[in-house]
Amino acid sequence: MSSATVGNSGKFSLYEWIFTTDHKRVAVLYMIGSYAAFFVAGLMAMLMRTELATVGPTITDNPTTYHVWLYFHGAAMIVAYMIPALTGYFANYYVPLMIGAKDVAFPRLNAFSVWLFWMAIILALLTFVIPDPPDIMWTGYPPYSVMTAGNTAFYTFTVLLLGFSSITGGINLITTIVRMRAPGVTWGKLNMYIWCVLSAFIIQMVFVPFLGDAVIMLILDKYLGTNFFNAAMGGSALLYENIFWAYSHPAVYVILLPAMGILFEIVSTFSKNRIFIYKGAVYAGVMGTMAMAGEVWVHHLGTSGNPEWLVTIQVFTTLLISVPVGILMISLVGTLYKGSIEFKTPMLYAVGFMFLFLIGGLTGIPNAMSAIYLHVHGTQWITAHFHYVMAVSMTTAIIGGTYFIWPKLTGKMYNETLGKLGFYLFFVGVNCTFFPWLYLGYLGMPRRYYDYAQFPQFQPLQQFITYSSYLIFVAGLVILFSWLHSLFKGEKAPDNPWGARSLDWTHTETPPPPGNFKEPVTLPADWDPYDYSKK
Amino acid sequence: MSSQAGAHEVEWHTSVWPLLLSVGILFFVPLAFTFHFVYKNSLMAMISLGVGAPLTIASIIGWVKEGLEDSHHYGEGHVVWAMPIFILAEALLFMGFFAAYWFLRFSAPSWPPQGTPELSHTLPLIMTVILVSSSFTIHFAENKLEEGNNSGFIVWLIATIALGLVFLGLEAYEWAELIGEGFTTKTNIFSTAFYSITGFHGSHVLVGMATFLFILIPAFAGKINKHFVTAASMYWHFVDIVWLFVLSQIYFL
Repeated sequence: MSSATVGNSGKFSLYEWIFTTDHKRVAVLYMIGSYAAFFVAGLMAMLMRTELATVGPTITDNPTTYHVWLYFHGAAMIVAYMIPALTGYFANYYVPLMIGAKDVAFPRLNAFSVWLFWMAIILALLTFVIPDPPDIMWTGYPPYSVMTAGNTAFYTFTVLLLGFSSITGGINLITTIVRMRAPGVTWGKLNMYIWCVLSAFIIQMVFVPFLGDAVIMLILDKYLGTNFFNAAMGGSALLYENIFWAYSHPAVYVILLPAMGILFEIVSTFSKNRIFIYKGAVYAGVMGTMAMAGEVWVHHLGTSGNPEWLVTIQVFTTLLISVPVGILMISLVGTLYKGSIEFKTPMLYAVGFMFLFLIGGLTGIPNAMSAIYLHVHGTQWITAHFHYVMAVSMTTAIIGGTYFIWPKLTGKMYNETLGKLGFYLFFVGVNCTFFPWLYLGYLGMPRRYYDYAQFPQFQPLQQFITYSSYLIFVAGLVILFSWLHSLFKGEKAPDNPWGARSLDWTHTETPPPPGNFKEPVTLPADWDPYDYSKK
Repeated sequence: MSSQAGAHEVEWHTSVWPLLLSVGILFFVPLAFTFHFVYKNSLMAMISLGVGAPLTIASIIGWVKEGLEDSHHYGEGHVVWAMPIFILAEALLFMGFFAAYWFLRFSAPSWPPQGTPELSHTLPLIMTVILVSSSFTIHFAENKLEEGNNSGFIVWLIATIALGLVFLGLEAYEWAELIGEGFTTKTNIFSTAFYSITGFHGSHVLVGMATFLFILIPAFAGKINKHFVTAASMYWHFVDIVWLFVLSQIYFL
């Protein structure tokens, strides 16, 4: 057995896993938690899809039940799956290895972050056993969230625990990146992933507090009788929407940037090629996105009654932020140019991302115009758009990234055929689900409805979408099976199976031991993590 | 642990406190709050508090002890870099509340809204003097520590904690007076902003004092980490500066 699972005494030790402060093990704890959240939230999606398969009640005749599913699906997918997977699991695993550090700056704080995240998952799972579970979507808009009999406090505390976990995790990794780079790992030679995740953490530091404010005000209003959102007393529900989206839009970049970072690593490694316009991607792409992340939130509130000048300004900023994101995409695609491309499973996911993110991005541009937005806001067009741009695209990065670091993480190779099978099922499944979904939205199918009696003509296409979504679930099972198969039956992985050039592959054993590197890392002046020109 | 810097590590490090602390927090805050306010079940709320509070405090004590005898640190003084990042996040937390306050105030037809009593200006000014002087006392404490005078450090640290206590006492007095006059959280939007912002600030004073307490107790046994002291006093200065915003915007503008 490899040293990833074996304890100090030479055997597997549960104690050493649960109480670990090692960044690699903390990363695994994040991985298990975020995939667990993904699984349960995915089950909720299956329930909702089954409900929508026919006009009228299918498996429930209670709209509140449907809204509890919707609450759990949205909240868990975003704050318990995507954010922890990208900024907890990958960041914890990659950052110290890529910069040549022995661990993060505060190992105990790191363990605290991951367990806070787990406590939030436990709180979220209690949704299914408590009386009056939260039924307020993932957004928790007042006045409904204040007036409902549902347990809004659980929503607030789940968000607060995750938010605090993000803050402590972010502080830890920013400090690590700033202070613990090995000699030779200079700012101009950082891996793209490090740049991306550093920017994501800075965005988190600035904007997570606003989410905290919003949900704290919510429980103050509901349980202590304050009047923040109580229009009768001079409060305003619009206040909540603005504070909430002041965080929740930047959160999109907290998710996007690390995902892009992982894809840069994958594409560069499997094309054996440099990063196309590295400096442009870092200074214009990553930093431009970071700088503008906080100036576009109103495009979520185009129909909420914000003043017209604010909406107009944010139409422009929204269109403008597609420029840095576009630069990142150009750099990603350009990295393929004249590369020696190898279509291993992680690379398939990376290419799949390019396609899916393009659809997501192109359907987003018309949404930015407030005049068009007015018409599509309440329809499935919007849900299909953000499932393309967020849910599905980011999942390709998370799953593809998992295949990519799997050999390093576990010390085992996965089965390439199973990996590819999982990818193709996933890719076909998501496109058959969300492309017709866009079309239905365009025809006027409202979002969030558990029944669509007024649109019986949509039933055939809704049924097709439901079956396609089952295919995504099957793909998930195949992917899970390929990992379990690798754990129990996989071949032993070499130190650098992909022939990558960055520190995490070249300077560590597979899997890395405690302390990561045998010798303290020092690098020659001409070292570069993407230098594939030298033999 | 290895004495030569950079030697290869052979052990997986562990600590029980992070997990215990997060379990403690789960019981202490979310579960106790939910049982009390949502399900109105006092017994379960008391049990949650009874489990959560001791577990939280014990874990912090254990964590601090381990930190002072650190067996696996990877370089000194990271905390002095990390604290400003934390303060940035905290500052934005306050900014959200102040933004909400001004949003509501600008959309109000008249200010102050009906039902607001005349607020005393003397009391908050006294509180300001106390909190600002506590920033000086902690600075003196740091100077003493720099000179290697541990008992001087302890004296000034105790003075700082005492000033913090007086501040909170005055705030509690002010709240009690106002609530006695019928000015509660429910009265109007100014009471909403007033209690949430001063309360939020007060809770930060409390956290700052707790941090000092966890520095003070081991300091009696001669265990002091200068970097922790620097970081804690940064936090204290921050709480002090936030008060100046509370003072100017809530009481005087």
